[in-house]
Amino acid sequence: MAESEQSNPVSTHPSRWKRIGSRFSILFASKTAMIGLFIVLFWVLAAIFAPLLTPYSPTEQDYKARNSPPSAAHILGTDDLGRDLWARLIYGARVVLVMLPINDHLWLPIGTAIWGVLLGLIVGATLGLMSGYMRGWKDEVVMRGLDAMMAFPVILLYMIIIAAVGSSATNVVLAIAIVGVPGIARLVRSLALDIRTRDYIRAAELRGENPWYIMFVEILPNARGPIIIDAMLRVGYAIFAMGTLGFLGLGLPPPSADWGSMVAVGRRFILAGSPWAAIWPSLAIASLVVGLNLLADGLREETMRYQ
Amino acid sequence: MTKFILRRLLLMLLTMFLVSVAVFAITSAAPGNVARNVLGIQITPEQEASFLAQNGLDKPMVERYISWLAGTDWRAAAKVGLGLKRIKTTDGFTEWWAVEEDGTMIRWVLEGEDLIARRQQADGSVVEQPDNGRWQIKDAKSEAARLQAYRAELQNDPQIAEADRQVILKPLDRILEILNSTDSQLSSPEALLSALAEPEGVLQALRDGEAAKQKQDLKNAGEEFAGKTALIQAIVVAQRLSDPAANELKQSDLQFMASQLSRASAKIKPVDPGLADQLQQAYESLKAGDAQAAKARMVEATPALIALTGNLGALADGLQNGDYLLAATVLRDLSDPAKMPFDEAQMAVLPEILGAAGKALQATQADLGDALLQAVENLQAGQTDEARKAFLQAADQLAAKGLVIARTDAAGKALVGRTFWGIDTQNHAVRWETGSGKEVWVFIQGTGWKAYSGGPAEYIPLQKGLVRGDPGVSLRTGRPVADLLYIRLRNSLILAGIAFVIVMPLALVLGVIAGLKEGKSSDRILSIGGMMFSVTPEFATGIFLIIIFSFWLKLVPGATVFGEKAPWSRPDMLVLPVLTLALIELGYVMRITRASMVDVMKAPYIRTAFLKGLPYRRVVMKHGIRNALMAPITVIMLHVNWLLGGIVVVEVIFGYPGLGSYLLDSALFKDFNAIEAGAMILVLVAVITQLLADITYTFINPRIRYS
Repeated sequence: MAESEQSNPVSTHPSRWKRIGSRFSILFASKTAMIGLFIVLFWVLAAIFAPLLTPYSPTEQDYKARNSPPSAAHILGTDDLGRDLWARLIYGARVVLVMLPINDHLWLPIGTAIWGVLLGLIVGATLGLMSGYMRGWKDEVVMRGLDAMMAFPVILLYMIIIAAVGSSATNVVLAIAIVGVPGIARLVRSLALDIRTRDYIRAAELRGENPWYIMFVEILPNARGPIIIDAMLRVGYAIFAMGTLGFLGLGLPPPSADWGSMVAVGRRFILAGSPWAAIWPSLAIASLVVGLNLLADGLREETMRYQ
Repeated sequence: MTKFILRRLLLMLLTMFLVSVAVFAITSAAPGNVARNVLGIQITPEQEASFLAQNGLDKPMVERYISWLAGTDWRAAAKVGLGLKRIKTTDGFTEWWAVEEDGTMIRWVLEGEDLIARRQQADGSVVEQPDNGRWQIKDAKSEAARLQAYRAELQNDPQIAEADRQVILKPLDRILEILNSTDSQLSSPEALLSALAEPEGVLQALRDGEAAKQKQDLKNAGEEFAGKTALIQAIVVAQRLSDPAANELKQSDLQFMASQLSRASAKIKPVDPGLADQLQQAYESLKAGDAQAAKARMVEATPALIALTGNLGALADGLQNGDYLLAATVLRDLSDPAKMPFDEAQMAVLPEILGAAGKALQATQADLGDALLQAVENLQAGQTDEARKAFLQAADQLAAKGLVIARTDAAGKALVGRTFWGIDTQNHAVRWETGSGKEVWVFIQGTGWKAYSGGPAEYIPLQKGLVRGDPGVSLRTGRPVADLLYIRLRNSLILAGIAFVIVMPLALVLGVIAGLKEGKSSDRILSIGGMMFSVTPEFATGIFLIIIFSFWLKLVPGATVFGEKAPWSRPDMLVLPVLTLALIELGYVMRITRASMVDVMKAPYIRTAFLKGLPYRRVVMKHGIRNALMAPITVIMLHVNWLLGGIVVVEVIFGYPGLGSYLLDSALFKDFNAIEAGAMILVLVAVITQLLADITYTFINPRIRYS
């Protein structure tokens, strides 16, 4: 990004900077968005720099200090196997936000939750564009299928998918994507229904453009605003879903530092007198999801105000 | 209006159909895993195949879908030729019976080659009777081919005494003649049966009723004897390592074999240190995972091992495989001074091994076992000659038994194969077959695996089907899913209902207040607070509430324990689950109401009302709220999906015995009948509420009603 800016002629600089500046001014104008951004950035940075922020590894066990409360050695305390909770928390954030573990040796950048949403976006947008732009029987078939999917309580869909294919990070991504498709497709379809009546679409059709070109090059970019805000909320849902799956024992297999499964294990020791292992991951997931929602809400409020 | 509702109903049916296909397709994606999940990972491929067949999982997907939806009993009834009836036992299990013309209920079991009918009497007792008249002849042509092949085999079977062979061959030839005859009089099944009656009667007379049981007993004794004797296990390990399949042995197998070698090595050490050392080396190679090196060692060691054990490994083999000639030869060799000197080394190990063999046999074959144990006593007392006599006696007895068993087997195989569709005692319609010689593994709940030979060839698991109210039997409990499902659904509806009743008025009031004070600080607090509650995952909210109310304040219990009782018997345990559910719903409904209220208050007719000089109260109550509540009410109904999701998690957190936790347990166990039924119920609840929402909306909103 920085490179492309340098290669541009000097004269375009001010306007480009101004454009970027005005984008961010929307953010800065809303106090809720700022608070949300702050929380989200906190977790993203903690996840990226996790190894620098703690001397412990998330799987290192200390049998002498099990279920210990916060102390100087372990700032948030330890869990039932004596693993440092702060270390597990920030390494858990990594899986959610910055890396997707495929197997023991291979991982992809960008977190599990975000991959799930991206995959859902690709499939959902394609289906939505198809049924919104092409209409006819394709529309009818796609919409009936999506109706059937929408009839499922979301959690049930997650449960039977994961129960059928087994639990791993990749399968969690798949499940998040599948569950997200109907909502995204409906949104994109409604936007496409609106945009297809515009003059520039008529012009493209007269030029004899391929329908796929019209769908992806003419319609999709012009529908991006609502899609981006929706995607941001969806990342929130995806994190929510990852936590819930982990809590139900359908998430990442142990000993991964998964927030949901940390709570599931930790809650067994609450009434035994050590609530810490359940409190921190609950707080972490709550704060991250609330942060994302504040950010999305703030953005939506501000963009609506100037429309 | 009617047209609209009809259209919606049709759409709902279509949706439910698609949903049922989806639920079925997803849960049946991996049937192989089901067997492993239920029976454990150590089952053999044959057992897995049997399990899949008995649960109907080996059938094509479409057939399984239809069976699941519409049942299998009608198909099975056509095959059996009698009506079928499902009854419920007092302890909650289902039983399927066929009903005869006079109304008696009947099921069948196969004992050996005999079909036994079990008729239930009026007083509930069951009477067993042989019912071989129901057998029907399998295809005559293929049976003729099979018997022709068997005739050749019989000629060369060394296990059968020559006299027996001749006696069997005669009726066999007659049967072949009848089957191959082109006489049109024999083309009807009845005529064929009556023609076969005479030669088959001869064969039946040759069969010994006890033989099948004796064969099984000898086999079990052989297995027990081999399994308990370290040295024989060492020989078995050597055989397994020499087998070409040794390369596919898993690490856990190798470790298991290593431990057996280690035991054998310890046994031999005082007798033959050199041999013990070889075994020890093989043990270490296996431990390190090197099967090749272990094999080389064991090939060297095997002859010495066999000599040391007096070839008793072959005795175990012979008993297990039905090769009684071999087994008897081993015993006879023991009585021969030239082959068995009973030297010092042998005397150190043999009595123990023979003792094990004797004990294994004694349980069912008292004469054989006693003879062997007597021989051991003699050996230990130094009376070698007495012992040799006892061995000879045992060998003769075994050979005699072997002859009877072989004759019975051969006569059985020479019979024309029969087939019969009936109902077994495990709720399947089964096609039984004789003469196929196939071994079938049957898993009986609570008993474990049992091998039956020459029995069931095809299964139809009996169920009425989902649409007729019978989603099948739970793999976890063996009881019908429908019974438990009803109780669980009731519990869940109670939980959701209480939460709903508490949340709705509260959320609507708070939402209206926030909407009226748009932008003010009270609105800000309400909206952000509501948002935080609605986006925080249920499990996090639940944990916070448990920590606050039950860990710190100790006000209410943090878990629900109802046992068999109904949830309303302990209201204090319902507080936290209801609160968790309520908080999540509260935020959502409040946000919708607020947005709707804000919209309405900006509408021109509200401004007009103010300009008319109406008091604020009146404007809000009469013009504002009525219009503002329209949107939330439908949204709330559409939100039921979300609420159901929340219920699953809340039930798991608090251990509440509802539908959600039942579904999760079933999903983790891959109890497919339970998942599918539970999922369909949950979807049905969601779809019906959505339909109700649509219909209510048309009633509430006059603009739609009159358009």
